[in-house]
Amino acid sequence: MNFRDVEHLSAYLDGQLTASETAQLETRLAADAGLRGLLDDLRVARGLLRRVPRRRAPRNFTLNPLNSRVSAPQPRAVPVLRYVGAIASLLFVLSATMNSLAPLAARSLAAAPPPGYGMGGGVGGGPPEAEANVPQMAIAPSGTQVAEAPAAPLDLTAPSAEALAKAAPPAESPDAGFRQGPKAPIPAIWMLILAIAGILFGGLSWYLDRHTRRNFRSNLLEK
Amino acid sequence: MDENALIIEAQRGDLDAFNTLVLHYQDAIFNTARRILGDEELAADATQEAFLSAFRGLNSFRGGSFKAWLMRTVTNAAYDELRRRKRRPTTALEPDGEDPEGMDEPRWLADPNLSPEEATEARELEHAMEHCLEGLSFEYRTVVVMADIEGLDYTEVAAAVRVPLGTVKSRLARARLRLRDCLQGFEELLPAMFRLQREPSS
Repeated sequence: MNFRDVEHLSAYLDGQLTASETAQLETRLAADAGLRGLLDDLRVARGLLRRVPRRRAPRNFTLNPLNSRVSAPQPRAVPVLRYVGAIASLLFVLSATMNSLAPLAARSLAAAPPPGYGMGGGVGGGPPEAEANVPQMAIAPSGTQVAEAPAAPLDLTAPSAEALAKAAPPAESPDAGFRQGPKAPIPAIWMLILAIAGILFGGLSWYLDRHTRRNFRSNLLEK
Repeated sequence: MDENALIIEAQRGDLDAFNTLVLHYQDAIFNTARRILGDEELAADATQEAFLSAFRGLNSFRGGSFKAWLMRTVTNAAYDELRRRKRRPTTALEPDGEDPEGMDEPRWLADPNLSPEEATEARELEHAMEHCLEGLSFEYRTVVVMADIEGLDYTEVAAAVRVPLGTVKSRLARARLRLRDCLQGFEELLPAMFRLQREPSS
């Protein structure tokens, strides 16, 4: 007997099993005295729960219109507007944080020494001659390719060296990028849209809620 | 009582319509809160909070069982009360289990026509059940109170506690099993009822 059996017995008492499950369980119940005993125990517990006396509420819980805590049913749009406004505000804050952290990140990148060529384990930061030779060495093991196209290594290394030279910052101006000012990761137009959305949706939800409450109060006073 | 019409009126801000619904459901909501919290005063507070927040959030009701929806609000209110009580624990002025005159007065009982023996039996059962329910976690207690004491069906319980039907089945089975174990300790106190329940199945 496992907990699955208990679950089935409990559901059986409430008539929540399918016809096939019921038939299967009843076959087992006919053969298993332990299962029958457990069913009886669960029936007793359930029966006692149902016999617990019900009490009348000690007082009326009707809402008094004079109670200031009684407020009008909130229009359906209010939580939606509030949610959208909150999301927009959150995105705005995140964007502003990213944009303000960007110069710091750029400064730390500019201050760091130029990275080595290899992905770890190599002689990072070696002389430019060694770097220029690396692509040649990398394709060297494929001997058949070299044999079929002997000019290929030379053709491949030339553009790679050029590309490396273009990609590497000029040695005489390591802080050139910083002086130009780092580009913000989130464009200003998006920041503006998020700020407007946050204010607009938040404001609308506040206004709608306040308007409904006022109407509700004035209607109560009229009565 | 045309419940749907009352709900629509109440959603438009008609407090009288809502109060009619309150009068209809307040016993069930109060009883649920009382069984979950195990305290009359806290249950009354939770019930009032539940109705206040139900009126405020009435537009979030999109059909289905209104009782189950109200049960959800009272479950939330009861949970808040429990958390508040944990933060600021209070000491009862009277010892536990000795309340011969207070809340057990006949005026509180739903059926005032009980004989003295029946009333005693009902009180003993209630004390035993309160003790055993207190031993259950909030999740199990909520499900067993709604299904077995308030008579909600599985679908309504699932809607009220916002869990899948399978979870309701599982929690209910586990809760009944634990209650059975706990109630066995009270078997001598409640022999008549145990015999009464066992007879039909044997």
